[in-house]
Amino acid sequence: MKIGVFVCHCGENIGKTVDCPRAAQESAKIPGVVISVDNKYTCSDPGQNMIKNAIKEYNLDGVVVASCSPHMHEKTFRKAVASVGMNPYMCEIANIREQCSWVHDDVEEATKKAIDLIRIAVEKVKRNFALTPIKVPVTKRALVIGGGISGIQSALDIANAGYEVVLVEKEPSIGGHMSQLSETFPTLDCSQCILTPRMVEVYQHPKIKLLTYSEVEKVEGFIGNFKVTIKKKPRYVDETKCTGCGLCTQKCPIKKAPNEFEQGMIKRTAIYVPFPQAVPNIPVIDNTVCTYFRTGKCQMCVKVCGKEAIDFNQKERFVVEEVGAIIVATGYSLYKIDKKPKDSPIKGYGEYGYGIYPDVIDGLQFERLASASGPTAGEIKRPSDKKEPKKVVFIQCVGSRDESKGFSYCSKICCMYTAKHAMLYKHKVHDGEAYVFYMDIRSGGKMYEEFVRRAIEEDDVKYIRGRVSRIYEDGGKYIVKGEDTIAGIPVEIDADMVVLATAIVAQNDSKKLAQTIGIPYDKYGFLNEVHPKLRPVESSTAGVYLAGACQAPRDIPESVAMASAAASKALVLFGSDMLEREPTIAKVNESTCAGCFYCQKVCAYNAIEKKEIKDRNGNFVKYVAYVNPGLCQGCGTCNATCPSKSVELIGYTDEQIFAEINALATL
Amino acid sequence: MNNLYNIAKDLFSTNKVDLIIGYKSIDSRRTKPIFVSSNEDVDHLVFNEYSLNNLSVYLTRKDIKKYNKIGILAKGCDIRAIVQLINENQIEREKILIISKKCNGVVKDFGLEYNEENIAEKCKSCKVRTPKVFDLMIDSEEEKKLPEPTISSRVNELDSMTPEERFEFWRNEFSKCIRCYACRQACPLCYCERCIVDKNIPDWIESSPTQRANFSWNLIRAFHLSGRCIGCGECERVCPVDIPLSLLNAKMGIVAFKEFNYATGMEIGEPTLVGNYSNEDNEDFIK
Amino acid sequence: METNINFEPKIIAFVCNWCTYTGADLAGTSRLKYAHNVRIIKLPCTGRIDPLFIIKAFEKGADGVLVSGCHPGDCHYTSGNFHARRRWILFNQLLNFAGIDNRRVHFSWVSASEGRKWVDVINEVIETVRKARPFVGYSKMNKEYVYNE
Repeated sequence: MKIGVFVCHCGENIGKTVDCPRAAQESAKIPGVVISVDNKYTCSDPGQNMIKNAIKEYNLDGVVVASCSPHMHEKTFRKAVASVGMNPYMCEIANIREQCSWVHDDVEEATKKAIDLIRIAVEKVKRNFALTPIKVPVTKRALVIGGGISGIQSALDIANAGYEVVLVEKEPSIGGHMSQLSETFPTLDCSQCILTPRMVEVYQHPKIKLLTYSEVEKVEGFIGNFKVTIKKKPRYVDETKCTGCGLCTQKCPIKKAPNEFEQGMIKRTAIYVPFPQAVPNIPVIDNTVCTYFRTGKCQMCVKVCGKEAIDFNQKERFVVEEVGAIIVATGYSLYKIDKKPKDSPIKGYGEYGYGIYPDVIDGLQFERLASASGPTAGEIKRPSDKKEPKKVVFIQCVGSRDESKGFSYCSKICCMYTAKHAMLYKHKVHDGEAYVFYMDIRSGGKMYEEFVRRAIEEDDVKYIRGRVSRIYEDGGKYIVKGEDTIAGIPVEIDADMVVLATAIVAQNDSKKLAQTIGIPYDKYGFLNEVHPKLRPVESSTAGVYLAGACQAPRDIPESVAMASAAASKALVLFGSDMLEREPTIAKVNESTCAGCFYCQKVCAYNAIEKKEIKDRNGNFVKYVAYVNPGLCQGCGTCNATCPSKSVELIGYTDEQIFAEINALATL
Repeated sequence: MNNLYNIAKDLFSTNKVDLIIGYKSIDSRRTKPIFVSSNEDVDHLVFNEYSLNNLSVYLTRKDIKKYNKIGILAKGCDIRAIVQLINENQIEREKILIISKKCNGVVKDFGLEYNEENIAEKCKSCKVRTPKVFDLMIDSEEEKKLPEPTISSRVNELDSMTPEERFEFWRNEFSKCIRCYACRQACPLCYCERCIVDKNIPDWIESSPTQRANFSWNLIRAFHLSGRCIGCGECERVCPVDIPLSLLNAKMGIVAFKEFNYATGMEIGEPTLVGNYSNEDNEDFIK
Repeated sequence: METNINFEPKIIAFVCNWCTYTGADLAGTSRLKYAHNVRIIKLPCTGRIDPLFIIKAFEKGADGVLVSGCHPGDCHYTSGNFHARRRWILFNQLLNFAGIDNRRVHFSWVSASEGRKWVDVINEVIETVRKARPFVGYSKMNKEYVYNE
């Protein structure tokens, strides 16, 4: 083996702490190393050319670049060596920047460490094999999880490009939170007016298969080849027979169930359509309140349905869909601050009398009050006595930006929607007064700042910079005590209604979904992108993309942009018939495999199969493990579990790791 | 009468087995394994307190696997090994016919008479003296009380030492190892086609019997048996230099029980300890 | 013997590529400083980390070993760290029973965002191993036997 070692100074980044010339000299003494040099910037063109020339001049079999983290430039250098005919997998990186020069001060010790790290890499590369990427076919079909505006946008983009989409929504209708909004900032467009045409387009699109009232149960496979099991919850209404006439919902005698869409402010029937513009317009029976399910009697809906669409015997059904890409667009939920859930680390529950005082409401409830299709037909009325409130206090950052009691992040959309709420209120109640308590106004975005200014200047919304300390009831009024930190004086407002801009939080089942799909999430339950700047819509699992507020608080334009971006990522994948995959997968030594199948037990990808070994005469000899190269993801858990080491992970073989440890014997 | 002779005769005459793996007396205090493939040799079979060997070790042998239906004499402890072998895909339940009996323990080693003082340690804490998994039961004495076990107190004794003392203890013990691999040969669960110690690329465990290599070898073997050892004690019995291997295995058995409420080879189809996990597995020791 | 308390322990860390290796990178990107005594060997997943590695590290003269990967539930490969955790529970207690001081063997979950935690873990491991003193008991076992130098 002839190995070349290239030690990068990275300007001063490495060179200041690691004595690179000395590291190169010492590395030259490692058996097998025929050339070892240092270079100011190895990733630059001259730096890469130096490697390429050395490969040709010294006829190198392997290359070690001692530089930044392999997560940074491994691909760069592998591409460089490949350009002169060396197999890219014969290039290894010794991470002497992130894990050496940047974390140490002592030049002597850092240099010694750098040499050790180079030695590890040299010993590994000596035992590397030339590898070629594995090619797998791509199923050109996408799954979109979540039927809010993000999911709708992704689904439409992909479908309009000509590929099939399966859109899964857990609620009975698509539309998501956007369908609940009254008007949208900064244009004050009616939300439903711009959303419902898209919902209908989804419903009618020949390339979109819509599965509402359904949830993703299991995800198997890998990029290009996912197998997704979807649970269809029973609607108790046959979707193929129902015409959406609505008779059943009118006749249903149970009228006391809280209406989720209206944020619990009015009641609905047991058989119901979530909202008039629902897509699909097919009712669902809430079996927790339906008289038939509770007592076995009633069946009013059955009697009035002319189409015999009611089916009390419906059960959960499971459908399996094969897709090549998955877009997660599961959205957010609102921080409900009334009762502290068990085990919640958040301390701010019960603040501001939410859940106790009927007229202390949250932002989504206000949206419904302001909506023309809402419980008050768009008139602003207090939930308690249906009177028009003359003084309304809006409180921003309830739970957000609150490290001690709530969440440390900014929920991002509340500054804007609070301005919108105050404005809508003033438009509807001309003699009313609107007060906003805020910490800062964050109105970055096209026409956003102008929008807030309009609220203040044209609609006379009174902005008070400061926190509210307390709210209590007194003589039919809510006394809001706070501080105006700009004037430096305490403030007290006797309000008729209080609207809390509560924090945007992750869906409560987002962690479970993330674990089902196999993608990471942050400590709040928001799904993680693989790179915060350069790959904002990709999860770390290849073929799984993120759109909208499931990743972080997002407003509508951002969600839509992310959704189209995620769709374009899926379309890039669908652009080729075959996909190249890393060849670092497990391989079984069939002659020594004893067939205990512990490897099969630990494999998360069902990549291990049972293979029959026969002798020359066709007689059965034994069963051995076989690794399906299309399914193996290369974690190597099988390798570590195998007692006889009869399955090895290519690229991280026992021999390689043994050599790496051995390289440190002199440390 | 369900004596061994009748049962075995009947099995062969009705073609229910092709082979019986059993014990044959050498003298009144010794037995050795015997492979009976026809009615003629049935009268050699014995099953008594000198039936020490765990015969399940033969079930994974290629020359034995050729038989379609194998009868085997197995004590409760031996049956745990058979169950574990089934759970590890090494043998098929349908191919094995387990002939067992209630057991009052076996002798520590051959040559001395069975009595209160001469009962193998493993028997004293045995939970399956009346076996749970079997096909045929021969007439046998009811369970009687055996002396109190001492193994856990020996484990505790070692646990209470300082790490240095424990290291010294095992270094001394393992230094005796001559790497004859009798432990491996006698172990029913050491069925690998090629033991890790024989793998030479890379040479994970040095093959020369140096102190260090012996230490590593015995450690790795104990680890590979963690959650798999059924405590038959054959390794220790066959060890020519008397390394207390049962002590290591017993410790890991205690750990498996304490951490996972797991005992090996009790039930067919039960998930193996390694190869499965629970979200609730203890991680107090992880930073 | 106590004079050796100031020695520089040799630590080998076996870490997964997705969480801890990236977390260690983050420590660098954030320019956090930590002791130089650790040499990282990168594996794809904690599931790949074999107890043999730990034994071999001691054979080759390591004073301490650190094994680190993704937090439970965050494994890039879904369950590699769960299988690893179960192995470690067994192996850790076996090592202790064999007299290999638990102060020499460390396990941690360090995520890609926990550069600070990585630094803390390393510093803590080094201090703990320092207290356990050099481990020549294993590597020098063939020669004249000494447990601690």
